[in-house]
Amino acid sequence: MPDGMGRDLTMKVCGTTCHGSDIVGATGRTREQWTGVVNSMVARGAKATDTELVQIIQYLSANFGPNMAPASAAAKPGAPAGVPARGALGRGPGVLGGGAADSHVVDKAGADRGRQVYIAECITCHGPKARGGGEGLPRAQQGANLIRSLVVLHDRYGDEIGPFLLNGHPLQSGRAASTLTKEQIGDLAHFLHQAVYFTLRGGPDLRIQNVLTGDPKAGQEYFNGAGRCHTCHSPNGDLKGIGAKYDPPTLQTKFLFPRTVGVTRNGARSTPAKPVTVAVTLANGQVVEGVLDKLDDFNVSLRDAQGDYRSFRIAPEVKVVKNDPYAAHVELLDQYTDKNMHDIVAYLETLK
Amino acid sequence: MLAKISICTALIATALAGQSLKPSKLSELPTDTWPMYNGDYSGRRFSPLKKINDTNISSLSFAWIYRANPGPGGGAIKSTPLVIDGVMYFTMPDHVWAIDARTGREIWHFTWPSRGGIHIGNRGLAAYGNWLYFETPDCNLVSLNMKDGKERWHVPICDLDRMYFGSSAPLIVKNHVITGVSGDDLDVPGYIESHDPETGALQWRWYTHPEPGTPEAKTWPSVEAMLHGGGMTWGSTTYDPELNLIYFGTGNPQPVIASKNREGDNLYTECIIALNPDTGKLAWYFQASPHDTHDWDANEAPVLIDGEINGQKRKLLAQASRNGYFFVLDRTNGKNIVTTTFAKANWAKGLDAKGQPIPDPKKMPQLDGALVAPNQAGAANWPPPSFSPATGLFYVNATDAYSVYYLFDASDQPEGWAGNDRGGWSQSTLRAIDYKTGKVKWGHKWEGTGGPRSGVLSTAGNLVFAGDPSNNFVALNATTGVPLWHANLGSGMSNAPITYELDGIQYLVVGAGDSLLGFAMLPK
Repeated sequence: MPDGMGRDLTMKVCGTTCHGSDIVGATGRTREQWTGVVNSMVARGAKATDTELVQIIQYLSANFGPNMAPASAAAKPGAPAGVPARGALGRGPGVLGGGAADSHVVDKAGADRGRQVYIAECITCHGPKARGGGEGLPRAQQGANLIRSLVVLHDRYGDEIGPFLLNGHPLQSGRAASTLTKEQIGDLAHFLHQAVYFTLRGGPDLRIQNVLTGDPKAGQEYFNGAGRCHTCHSPNGDLKGIGAKYDPPTLQTKFLFPRTVGVTRNGARSTPAKPVTVAVTLANGQVVEGVLDKLDDFNVSLRDAQGDYRSFRIAPEVKVVKNDPYAAHVELLDQYTDKNMHDIVAYLETLK
Repeated sequence: MLAKISICTALIATALAGQSLKPSKLSELPTDTWPMYNGDYSGRRFSPLKKINDTNISSLSFAWIYRANPGPGGGAIKSTPLVIDGVMYFTMPDHVWAIDARTGREIWHFTWPSRGGIHIGNRGLAAYGNWLYFETPDCNLVSLNMKDGKERWHVPICDLDRMYFGSSAPLIVKNHVITGVSGDDLDVPGYIESHDPETGALQWRWYTHPEPGTPEAKTWPSVEAMLHGGGMTWGSTTYDPELNLIYFGTGNPQPVIASKNREGDNLYTECIIALNPDTGKLAWYFQASPHDTHDWDANEAPVLIDGEINGQKRKLLAQASRNGYFFVLDRTNGKNIVTTTFAKANWAKGLDAKGQPIPDPKKMPQLDGALVAPNQAGAANWPPPSFSPATGLFYVNATDAYSVYYLFDASDQPEGWAGNDRGGWSQSTLRAIDYKTGKVKWGHKWEGTGGPRSGVLSTAGNLVFAGDPSNNFVALNATTGVPLWHANLGSGMSNAPITYELDGIQYLVVGAGDSLLGFAMLPK
């Protein structure tokens, strides 16, 4: 984990119970993608405050963004100059560090050049994404799926792909494979490894497509009818301009799960979620209220209106009443149909 | 004086014996020994010990702590320790420790020089005679000498370049070391292997897909799809010596979320499997999630119950599966007896004639999203459940959860991860399930969102031990679910608790982050 603001926090929240030292691998994710990942982790039990989650997202986006080279130690012997090596402990390219520590590190410029070699010599039989020639092709042109090819997966910088091709593999231009230069083979290797890595979790093409499939009218009816959303929200009040503020995928996540952290269309963080409050009635009848810090079977702690930390042991004579302002959102999860969900997003999208 | 003499005698006895796992310990209920991952072959994680019980648990106190230091980056203890002749053995990825089970004092620490692989967790070791066995993230099965932690040999169990990795605890069955594999990054097939405990040599390998040409192979559109169809074997294995069958679950089909190129039930992914441990031949299978599209590996512990159904003694197998369903099967033949949900699950249209859930296509991942319960982490996961023959209850930390499943690549040829779930809400409850009916007898809801990622232990002392989301190690009355005792571990419980008795003292040991903590009622 590279140094930077938020590193220790990320290690603490993510690395102590669930992940080990390899919280993240080398695959770059955008801020939007990291936000999605972090929200998923919260849903799986990651424990952090709203502010901490934003710091974690910022740390991950800054250090594991799309254009970041993986953390490097000494370059692998034999690797081309300028190719970063992986950390000394060794983590592969998978999002959790799958694969070998010395796995192929893609050079983006090389992969771009390799794509041209691929288009010129390979694409007819092996398909546009190197996933093999389709069954519609003549038998002789149904090339193997190169994402699943052991030659590719065992290759490093062309050391397997090169000898395999030079052994007389046919090229679509008709020229002899032996005329491929060392540079072309190296570039092709970068392109093919990149194509493999792009199928991993967090690959750059893997993102939410279009969620605007609902009917805004039906969404409005649900909002004012069965969903009873209007009892707390109004299109001209708290939701004014919400469709301009968030893109549709974020709207969908935020209205279903209001405690998730969102990024607005202009890159700002979403308004912090409203806290859960708690009222503790002590044995002497005194009531202490505040923002819930922690509640379990044995203790409750809170911050009162003065900002002071208070904690109490739970006993039969102590009464604890919790108030989650988003309780209705949780109850609705059992009731929404997928159509309701898409209709509501379509409706919220119109509130610009 | 008498006390001194008895201490000397005990020291001599220990010095003469050294550490070795007697084969008879493998078929006994765990008392002074915790000889395998689940404590015994049944996978029940039930201890007959009752010195610590529901009447005296409030006097349980802290005994020792051992902070494991694996070096840069740290890590969490997700392994269940073994206890053999007073010594405890446990792992983190690439690391094995031996510590004194009475004091937590380190005896040795072994570090494996890693070549990579996913380091998300290691479940622990197997023991046979004087030898220990564990898997490494970089695809090796390693055998160590129990005495000093020196390596005896290592053999490969998978191909790192295909993004397999090792994480599960091996199981010893007779002269077999059973090893599972992990890895769902690329579209590769799952398998389980048996190795010679003396040499590490491969005895057999069973792939988690049918043989081409068999009726089961028709659950795939093509041999190509089947041979790249996933189904990893990273959960724990249980064993019935009378039937001579091992039981384990298989993981998700590949590609993981998108499924256009794998129409059909996708056998034997997400199945409960029974194999002959001597030959690796399939005895039966039951599919927990036919044609899964939610990453709901059925690798949760297949717990063996010798129970009674309608007054008849039956050999049963129960699983609280990641997909939210609780299954009870006849483990002689895999026939279904009970299928119920033990947590929120909205993805099935009903059950088929075999008692298997029928997936609802509308709740498969969609381009615009489908709201699905449970979420990808599931209603249950790797943290082991427990079954108490004393109460007849199956205990599992169950998670009610929703998330939205998206398809990212709608093409005819998805690969790897062509979708995922996003967002979410979850709430966990320790549930006690009556195995005869699948009905929840009691549930104890844990406050706070998110689930504890920790396992469960039950004992003859009418206790069940579990972790809560506030880092508490909690003991509850096993019959009623009332919490009786707790200790805050400072970090969430990261493995499953174990218990053992040494010198007449019953210990409880639990992992929390990088530390193991021991509890006992110590004499003055």
